[in-house]
Amino acid sequence: MSVKIEVHKVSYSYGLKAALEEASFELDSPFFCVVMGPNGAGKTTLLKLMLGLLKPMRGYIRIMGHDPLKESSVIRRLVGYVPQVVNIDHHVPITVEEVVAMGALSKDIPPRIMSRKIRRRVEEVLEVVGLEDSSCLFTELSGGQRQRALIAKALIGEPKLLLLDEPYSMLDFDMRCEIAGLLYRLYGEEGIDVFLVAHELSPCIHLDPMVILLNKRVYAIGKASEVLKLENLKKAYPGLTEVPAGFILGEDHA
Amino acid sequence: MLELLALTYVMAAAGGILVGAISLPLAFSRSTLFALTMTHSVLGGAILGIYLNSALGLGVPVPITATMVSLILSVLAAELSEKIFSEDVAIALTVAISTTITIIFGYLTIQVSSTGLSEVWFYVAGTSAIATVGDLIKMATAAIIVAPLMHLISRELKYISFDKDGAAAMGLNVRVYRYLFFSLTAFATSTLASTLGVLATHVLLAVPGAVAMRFGKRGSLTASYTIAVALALIGYFTAQLLEIPPSGGIGLISGLVIMGLILGHERR
Repeated sequence: MSVKIEVHKVSYSYGLKAALEEASFELDSPFFCVVMGPNGAGKTTLLKLMLGLLKPMRGYIRIMGHDPLKESSVIRRLVGYVPQVVNIDHHVPITVEEVVAMGALSKDIPPRIMSRKIRRRVEEVLEVVGLEDSSCLFTELSGGQRQRALIAKALIGEPKLLLLDEPYSMLDFDMRCEIAGLLYRLYGEEGIDVFLVAHELSPCIHLDPMVILLNKRVYAIGKASEVLKLENLKKAYPGLTEVPAGFILGEDHA
Repeated sequence: MLELLALTYVMAAAGGILVGAISLPLAFSRSTLFALTMTHSVLGGAILGIYLNSALGLGVPVPITATMVSLILSVLAAELSEKIFSEDVAIALTVAISTTITIIFGYLTIQVSSTGLSEVWFYVAGTSAIATVGDLIKMATAAIIVAPLMHLISRELKYISFDKDGAAAMGLNVRVYRYLFFSLTAFATSTLASTLGVLATHVLLAVPGAVAMRFGKRGSLTASYTIAVALALIGYFTAQLLEIPPSGGIGLISGLVIMGLILGHERR
């Protein structure tokens, strides 16, 4: 089986502050992988490096054998990116259709005109994620619907891999489970590999995903049931004395 | 006289179209303060241009010097905010530089030219409430260049404002789009300021976009154009009625619109 993601001794720092220190791991397709770690562990930095938005200071990354920096157009065709909702400016008057269509339009050259074909494709991917009204403003959607719209934007280019930054943030537990279910369906039924960063595993723990424990370095990688052990968690979360309930069942379940 | 009036209102409408195209993107990209930097830079650039023409007899059209200085200072503000400071600090520093240019070259202009002060004043408060053919040509040319280009990049600008990292991940060159937007804004600002004055230009750039965002259906561009053209036309009419510079008329009407909005909002 071919290696789909290869991260080899990657280091990155913002000024003097290290975000990643020789982080290494490999993932073979198919995978549903969750990267976990405390705040400042370098999770979002890792995603940005994988997208080619940042350049590793040391080491290298390959996505399906491609270098994100040198082959950015190939990476954009293969990868769908779902940003963190909190990083989005909700003040911009943009419709769901415009958001989703941009996932396809960005692959064209300007002027980017929304053709009938793209409109049809927008409706299709919105149906996949369970959204109906494409004409409403993004700001008029609930938290879960916003996340679905962003996933639809990533899906419109028919990616082989989805990279998601904190897809469960700002959502209640039921909504988190719904989004996890949707992602798992995309993984299971559509054959799309899923790589997401999150603070907790509870919404998808029953799916027994792959887990990477990251805190600047990769401390453990494997199935959730194997990785989430106190000795591993203590390395990624210094000061931890017992496995928190939220890591396994979710605090909302406790 | 009737022809001159018609000319004035056509020019005001062209100015409104120019403003309508820029104002909404300024509002949704939270760049209205950036436009303030540009109006300050345009004033500094215009005064520098007037001084250079008076002292050295260069004969370079003042709007060109004003646009160039505005562009340079806008790029400086963008670079400062991207690399070193927060946006408000970058804007404050750029305004400080343009104000310094304004004060120093304003003083020097008065020393070397007897008409320099009135030329400077035109850039502050605007020209007379009756437009010339030159004003019309200048404004219409700017509107013909800026409005279609803004439409061409408006979808990308909107998306970049919405999700900068996502836009970059999709391959949109965020920096190029931003600089293109700032360049078009600098050009529009310089053109507007040479006729309406910098004070009215800033008001005119800020109000239509803000109102369209708040009350227009989905923050529509049509609302931005309608409000901008209406403000320019009614502002010019008011200026002629009260025999004040157009900037006064536009400022007055914009002020009334803002007060009306506040009262309307309170009643809700």
